[in-house]
Amino acid sequence: MTGVQLSWLRIKAVARRHYYVLLRAPHRLFDVTIWPLVDVLLFGSIAAFVHPGHAAAGRLAAGYLLSGILLWHVVYQSQIALATGFLEEAWTRNLLNLMVTPLREMEYVGGVVLFGMVKLFLGLAVVSLTALGFFAFNVTDLGIGLIPVAAVPLENGWVIALFVIALVLRFGTGAEALAWGILFVVLPLSGVFYPVAALPWLLRPVAEALPTTHAFVAGRALFDGRGMLWGELGVALVSCVLLGVVVVFFLTRMLQAFRTRGYISRYT
Amino acid sequence: MDEVISLAAVTKRFGGVAAVDGIDLVVRTGERVGLLGPNGAGKTTTLLMLLGVVAPDEGSIDVAGHRLPKGRSAAMAQVGFAAGYLPLPERLKVDEYLRFYGQLYGIPDPDIEAALDRFGIAHLARARGTDLSSGQRTLVGIVKAILHGPRLLVLDEPTASLDPDVALRVRTGLQALCRDEGTTLLVTSHNMVEVERMCDRVVFIASGRIVADGTPADVARAFGGADLESVFLRLAGREEAEHSHERAQETERPAG
Repeated sequence: MTGVQLSWLRIKAVARRHYYVLLRAPHRLFDVTIWPLVDVLLFGSIAAFVHPGHAAAGRLAAGYLLSGILLWHVVYQSQIALATGFLEEAWTRNLLNLMVTPLREMEYVGGVVLFGMVKLFLGLAVVSLTALGFFAFNVTDLGIGLIPVAAVPLENGWVIALFVIALVLRFGTGAEALAWGILFVVLPLSGVFYPVAALPWLLRPVAEALPTTHAFVAGRALFDGRGMLWGELGVALVSCVLLGVVVVFFLTRMLQAFRTRGYISRYT
Repeated sequence: MDEVISLAAVTKRFGGVAAVDGIDLVVRTGERVGLLGPNGAGKTTTLLMLLGVVAPDEGSIDVAGHRLPKGRSAAMAQVGFAAGYLPLPERLKVDEYLRFYGQLYGIPDPDIEAALDRFGIAHLARARGTDLSSGQRTLVGIVKAILHGPRLLVLDEPTASLDPDVALRVRTGLQALCRDEGTTLLVTSHNMVEVERMCDRVVFIASGRIVADGTPADVARAFGGADLESVFLRLAGREEAEHSHERAQETERPAG
């Protein structure tokens, strides 16, 4: 990578391009407003139903579910922003236009991620305010430890998005269903709302191998007031980085196949 | 004159069929080259390879002094590309679209009005991509391609969807650009009259190979025709005859 200089101007241009997309396609706001709202209402209400008349138990259940949904939306928003950002170029047949400019792959991803962070903060604000308003769950009670814990689902969302992009490059827009679908596989396996021990024994090793699982364990510990589980966080970070390396390698190979097999013809 | 494009023994196969078969091509600064040939001859594949979008199986490609694929970003900074078949992203207005691409080429605040005015479409600056006719979209695509003052302008069927008067405006604008700024032009088109007027050199491709290379008049003379159209029809007919012959051989070949 000697001599490769990334352009901040190009990264900002890509981010602004995706801002216009959100501005002109209001239905995209569903991902950052409606779904977070629905998720908080759904899981907060489940907790209230399961423990009627037991205020303390109800608050505990709601806390587990709502802290879980908060961290889950970090995965969801970061993944959806990057994956659908790329898909927007495929849907509008803009890939060829982009590929004949000096724009580097890393600059493109950087630009989409940059604007994706804006969407992430919007989504998390909706989760936090709804949880506070309807269920008296204050996110700030989790403390500053939430920031390093949230870094794992954040990176994991990007890694999953890069995996989806790699599959779309190789198999075409037929693979785009994975942009949303893959999250529904990761959700139950990550122990978002329960410990891994609650899963069927056959699935436990798979769950343990996912970085998100360890981040959610650390998140529950924060809610319980047990402090930061540095061991769990360390495992989560290391496995997330390893997964990232594997996925970037896979993406590079798929991009190579895209160029070698002339798959650009699918988008012209 | 220095070389802007240099293709050496470039080959590209898809599923065992050679779309481009050992092409050698050098284009020098300031040349206006028409890349011609029947459908499926290998023109677009050649363009996509020199734009770094498709990787060749064999051979080497240098653009603006940079070897692809390693030097793709540096090479593309000096290249502009437009194609009649490419849409505008529908969620952007024309000025947003042009500013976006200008910034990708390193221009923080491109002079969009002047660029649009060059083709008489400054009034479209605030229009959305979806509100434009196909001809207007093509014009905006060409403006996008020249916004950064490229050293090499590559156009794939640029006037395919344009009315004759708009096509004339495009041709005049491109000729002025090449003359005033020394821009090198590589264009594919099925409009032979247009190519004869715009280009000082034509390269004919058939079945992935270069079969003629010279001034329009020289190429027409070499094929015993009055103009490029007669050369095109002759080559297209020959290619069709070759394909028919191959199909007949396939049919006659015993099974197993």
